[in-house]
Amino acid sequence: MTPEPEDNSPSPNTPQNDDHELQETNRRYATYIREKVNQLLQVIGTLPLSPEELDDDTLLDLDPIGIVAGSFEQILEYHKEIITELRMARDELQAIFDATGVGISIIDNDFRIIKCNEKQRELLVDKDMHDITGKYCYEVYCNKESPGLDCPAVDTLATGRSVIIREVEKKGKHFQIVTTPFKDGEGGDVGVIEVLLDITEKKRAEDAEKEQRGFYLTEKSKLATIIQSLSDGLFVTDKEGTVVSFNNAAQKITGYSETEAVGMPYENFLAMLAQGTAGNHISGKDFRNTELTVLTKDKQQLVLSLTSALVKDSEDRAIGKVFTFRDVTEEKQRQEVYHRTEKLVALGQLSAGIAHELNTPLGNILGYARLMMKDKNLSSLQKERLEIVAEQAKKSNAIIKDLLSFARQSNPALRNIRDVDINAIVTDVLRILRTETEKHGISVHAGLGSLLTIKADARQIEQVILNIVLNAIQAIGDNGEIWVKTACKDRSVIIEIKDNGPGIPDEVKPRIFDPFFTTKPVGKGTGLGLSICAGIVNEHGGSIDVESREGKGTTFTIALPVHNS
Amino acid sequence: MSERKTIDLNILGQVCPACLLVAIKEMNNNRNELKSGEAELVIKTDHRYATRTIPDSAKAMGFNVDIKKEETYYEIKISKRQ
Repeated sequence: MTPEPEDNSPSPNTPQNDDHELQETNRRYATYIREKVNQLLQVIGTLPLSPEELDDDTLLDLDPIGIVAGSFEQILEYHKEIITELRMARDELQAIFDATGVGISIIDNDFRIIKCNEKQRELLVDKDMHDITGKYCYEVYCNKESPGLDCPAVDTLATGRSVIIREVEKKGKHFQIVTTPFKDGEGGDVGVIEVLLDITEKKRAEDAEKEQRGFYLTEKSKLATIIQSLSDGLFVTDKEGTVVSFNNAAQKITGYSETEAVGMPYENFLAMLAQGTAGNHISGKDFRNTELTVLTKDKQQLVLSLTSALVKDSEDRAIGKVFTFRDVTEEKQRQEVYHRTEKLVALGQLSAGIAHELNTPLGNILGYARLMMKDKNLSSLQKERLEIVAEQAKKSNAIIKDLLSFARQSNPALRNIRDVDINAIVTDVLRILRTETEKHGISVHAGLGSLLTIKADARQIEQVILNIVLNAIQAIGDNGEIWVKTACKDRSVIIEIKDNGPGIPDEVKPRIFDPFFTTKPVGKGTGLGLSICAGIVNEHGGSIDVESREGKGTTFTIALPVHNS
Repeated sequence: MSERKTIDLNILGQVCPACLLVAIKEMNNNRNELKSGEAELVIKTDHRYATRTIPDSAKAMGFNVDIKKEETYYEIKISKRQ
């Protein structure tokens, strides 16, 4: 408002009047200035001036307009600074918004996109779609016609709370989504801020890890199956040497269960197996086909061939040991038989030579002794002495016959192989020996099974059975029992000859098949009987085994293969 | 860091709004030093009304304001905004 002179009517031009008018004008100007200053102070935001506290003269002296103008100048300058700062802050925010590694999208209450950052565009906006502002988020981001039931933005808009979705698939990618309510300056909800974290790579890595884990589990299971199905016994220890795994074959061979073996230090386990058997050195070393004589849980004696190796991890550090073992008891027995046969062949050749050389001179000694005994001029003493010569020559002849028999059985050219009925041979042998058994009060029980014919030398087989039954009769002495059984088993004919005699002492048992080994007094046996039997059975491709315990009798088991040419 | 200069404005006994205009005038006269932080303006007043009018104006002009009550007067410190 511009101050206007209030009254222009003529007035007496007196000095008092002039003075009065001037005062009036000044008062109006002062009022005008006061009003304008107050108006400006109100704009600044402070209280108006009051006339009681500041009279007009003082007001004018202060130059209030000048002061307020200066103040305004500062206010404007301050506002300019603020605007510059706000612009910078906005630009920084935009840069962060675009540079952040997560997709950010601001959506209004109607699911229309207000704004989104570059990452969001890269993750979910189709390349040919340029301006997405105002478009529906579900159309642009999810290719849907309405918001999905699982949409976190729907939840946040309904509840006003933040929602997190750990994993969701959109357009072939996997995301973690967080939605937060977006409020205006007054705190009213205007929409949702949706933050997307692309977890596709993480998920892929997780899937790969899962696959890898699956692969290892399959391999582990395969390995476990292989270990369990091995025919060799196997056990594994940890770094400390404690048994951690014990396979089926190990249980079958040793008789100990997995529960019994697992948890034991392996040295204790081996010591437990080797208990009571001499000559085993089992402590703290590696084994390579080392033979151990062990006792199984049911006290059966076995020979095991044991091998050990270190188990190492991927960085070549030892994490335990693996032990494998085989039951080589039968193999060992076969080896022994083989060695015995070798010996027999050599002895056979030697015996044949000696017998051949001695046969003629002995025949001569006997012939001449008998010839001389016909001389009537001989005194009775001379006759008696000649009889001794003839008797001793006959005895020697019997020994030579044995030797020749021993030599003959090792000569295949002399064997007469044809189809043979073992039951018939057994019957014959028992008939031949009936007088002998009856004489000693021995009852013989025959249990003859249904058999296949085999190819063999009947005379030799008869000799074997006869020899073993005779041995039984001699072992029993008087009053006892003999059982002879035949059966077919695994394409073999089995002949079992059992007696209830005194049994064979342990120290003698390993040598009973050796040639010239005998427990009979000198002159009563040549020690060739069982050796000849073993040789015959061996030559027929069969086996002969003995089981005997002192005081509990003896059982000989002969097995002859059915297909034998 | 050099010591900040203190400009004292003692308007004890003066009544507002004269003191408001005096204070604004002082802020105008020392604007550069106040804005740069080289100086701060310490106004002593015993007029309660001034503790509202002076801070309002100073804030609008972009200054930082601290008001402290002493025994018989108020001390209004005007300095560079943070």
